[in-house]
Amino acid sequence: MTSPALECRAVSKSFDGLRAVEDVSFIVPDGSLCALIGPNGAGKTTLFNMATNLFPPSSGEVHFFGQSAAGLSPHQIAADGVIRTFQTARVFPGMTTLENVLAGAHLHVHAGALAQMLWTRKARQEESRLIAKAVALLDMVGLRDARERATADLPIGAQKLVEIVRALMAGPKLLLLDEPAAGLNDHETSELAALLRAICDAGTTILVVEHNMSLVMGVADQVFVLDAGRLIASGSPQDIQKDHSVIEAYLGRAQEPAP
Amino acid sequence: MWAIVQIVIGGLLQGGVFAIVALGFSLVYRVTNVVNLAQGAFCVLGAMGMYYFQVEFGWPILPAALAAVACSTAFGVLVGLATFVPAVSRLPASSALVLTAGLLTFFIGVTLVVWGNQPYALPPFSGEAPFVIGGLRVPTQGVWLAGISAAMILGLWLLLQKTTLGRALRACAENPTAARLMGIDLPRMMLLSFALAAFIGSAGGVLVAPIMSLQFDSGQFFTISGFIAVAIGGMGSFAGSIVGGLLLGIAEQFAAFYVSSLFANTLALLLLLFVLILRPAGLFSSGPPRRSDVRDDARIHRAVVRLEGRAAVTFALVLVGVLALLPMLPLPGGILASLVIALILFIAVLGLDVLMGYAGQVSLGHAGFMAVGGYAAAILATTYDWPPLAATLVALILSVLCALVLAAATQRLRGHYLALATLAFGLLVDSLAVGLFDLTGGPSGLVGIPAFEVAGFAFDTQPRMYYLALALSVVLVVLLEGGMRLGFGRALKAVRSDQLAAAALGVNVGRHKVIALCISAALASLSGSLYAFNFHFLSPEMVSATRSFEMIAMLVLGGEGTLIGGFFGSLVLTLLPTLVQDFAVYKTAVEGAILVVIFLAMPEGLFGRLAIWLDRVALRFPRRRAGVAP
Repeated sequence: MTSPALECRAVSKSFDGLRAVEDVSFIVPDGSLCALIGPNGAGKTTLFNMATNLFPPSSGEVHFFGQSAAGLSPHQIAADGVIRTFQTARVFPGMTTLENVLAGAHLHVHAGALAQMLWTRKARQEESRLIAKAVALLDMVGLRDARERATADLPIGAQKLVEIVRALMAGPKLLLLDEPAAGLNDHETSELAALLRAICDAGTTILVVEHNMSLVMGVADQVFVLDAGRLIASGSPQDIQKDHSVIEAYLGRAQEPAP
Repeated sequence: MWAIVQIVIGGLLQGGVFAIVALGFSLVYRVTNVVNLAQGAFCVLGAMGMYYFQVEFGWPILPAALAAVACSTAFGVLVGLATFVPAVSRLPASSALVLTAGLLTFFIGVTLVVWGNQPYALPPFSGEAPFVIGGLRVPTQGVWLAGISAAMILGLWLLLQKTTLGRALRACAENPTAARLMGIDLPRMMLLSFALAAFIGSAGGVLVAPIMSLQFDSGQFFTISGFIAVAIGGMGSFAGSIVGGLLLGIAEQFAAFYVSSLFANTLALLLLLFVLILRPAGLFSSGPPRRSDVRDDARIHRAVVRLEGRAAVTFALVLVGVLALLPMLPLPGGILASLVIALILFIAVLGLDVLMGYAGQVSLGHAGFMAVGGYAAAILATTYDWPPLAATLVALILSVLCALVLAAATQRLRGHYLALATLAFGLLVDSLAVGLFDLTGGPSGLVGIPAFEVAGFAFDTQPRMYYLALALSVVLVVLLEGGMRLGFGRALKAVRSDQLAAAALGVNVGRHKVIALCISAALASLSGSLYAFNFHFLSPEMVSATRSFEMIAMLVLGGEGTLIGGFFGSLVLTLLPTLVQDFAVYKTAVEGAILVVIFLAMPEGLFGRLAIWLDRVALRFPRRRAGVAP
């Protein structure tokens, strides 16, 4: 059996006594499309940031493909094939869409700075290959015509797509998406769901953190539900929809529990 | 024993002024998160006002002092309203920092125009006779200084702690976004902090003018001393500013007494570098650090500037062709010499562009690398008779080593602090160039530097030097363009606009910054060496902090992140004084004004504008790009 793409073992995080995430364990199997959901303030993004080592967990361990993430800096995690996006689309201002996407290929630029400066044939051929790939990916999301425009000028939905395409350029083994549907309309959300399914079917494991249930329920293989820092349920979307604790977390309890 | 007490008293007096300047820094920093480098200029402004009202117009002391402070504060409000507040609201923090460097340069330039370059001293408030207490001599002005400073500090404390206005100011300091949502007018609070800083700064200037003789560039001294004080004490901490100022004053007095006054500055700067490296937050922490997500640097808009394909090739060929033919034309006297200087400086600006325009790291002390390159090459070639080419290469390696040491030492520093560490580095090199008399010739400079020479061919005439600098510039632009248009440049730009997102894509942010710093140090060093060989002479003021700011002005004027843009900036700022004879006096003021105005009105610079326009023209013609089917 191959090791899971992502495994969190009893991960906790507290900020100055506030327990944002408490004793959370879950496994994202290789090749699956998983979703981490929960109401606002449930600790989703905190968990996500720990998974990518923006800050270390207070206790517990995070493993990628069987390898511990402890002590790795964000760029090393990226080099191991784990690429993340951000809640607010963090495209690079001052770059065209094509440049933004090409920036995602950083790990696949093999010509050194010196070779690039000397305009070597190898460096130029590599650039042509990367451009062809970037344009193909932009074509897939319907942004091919926007490639020469400043990304910061595009509508927010397009910027989020550019960010995902940029992450794909890095050739991730595991793609971590932080609320990709935030700010998208219903039509864009369903297109995004189809895109995520296609990416996953092409061999990339995906973990998506989402607030938007409609995106998650249609496409995820497995759903983890976080509430107040704790994992309260996990299973297939169908199971989750029937789970009482999840319904309570989202809609509130029918009556106050006894003290 | 008495000598030590006397030194401490002297230190406290001097430190009092530093504390006042430091307080101004902290006040503005807390509210705007920007280190206002123009702070020290307010002291000189206050003193200059005092000079006119008291000495020229013959007013009595009290009305003269009040009028001087009122005028300086009013001027501060105008400048704040027109430049500082819009800059802080609209620009990334690094640009706002450079803009305040522009303001400082502008103030220095204006003072030079008004006052000329001789020092001024004012009569003390209450006579020359010092207070004598049990054998201790305290100048009466010191009593005034201490008393009024204490009153101002108390007043400021009361304002901040006990009034609604003070609460609003503090709210902006804690969390500007939330303060704004609570209905606090943030720009007004920024202006208020700027005005308060101008007020205490100019009052400090009025008080200190009788003790210290001031001249046009004293503003730089006050800014640097005040900044060192605030960095020691803790940026944004009011208690820290005061303690830091007093400590610095005492340390400088001891250094001047026991070591040498020539090195007092060097020691203060070393002290600063140590504090920055060991305790980046300063001795007094200014409370919990501001949440990084309340400032949204990454969202700041930047125009896409690029020139590609046929338009770029055509433009480059025309430009190089024109430049190559220039020396054959009958040019009026001095023009060719100015072109040589413009090209030599362009080489340094080119490196600065890699660092600032691409990697987004501000260096306020880039002339420091020029100085290392210039002095090392000149000393090797002159004192040790090395061939100039070998001397230049060794100097270049030495500069890169300096850059590596600086990078290693400042690894923990982020944002502003890195820029300020480079400022300290530049000043340190400058003060060493002045202080190491035997090696560098001291303030009067190093003479008898030979002409540049490669394999027996001497570049000893201006046309030869011109073609050498032109050829080097072309080669360097082609090399850098190769790197900047491909993956390396994209990674640098990613680091500039969003470090977190860059790291998430696998970019080793720290390493890219260090490489950019090394490239820029190497080019500055090369430029410095050529500069020395061109003039056959090198003095500290040719590679001082003023030069650092001038190079930034050249880069910003030409256009950051364009490589070639710096050439136009360098050309304009070098040729103007040659073409317009009377311009020399106004040069500093104009450079400062250019920095400020360009940042606010045309952030893409002269060449950036031109490139955007040329790119639009080129878009009208069908073209093919590699890898993309038409």
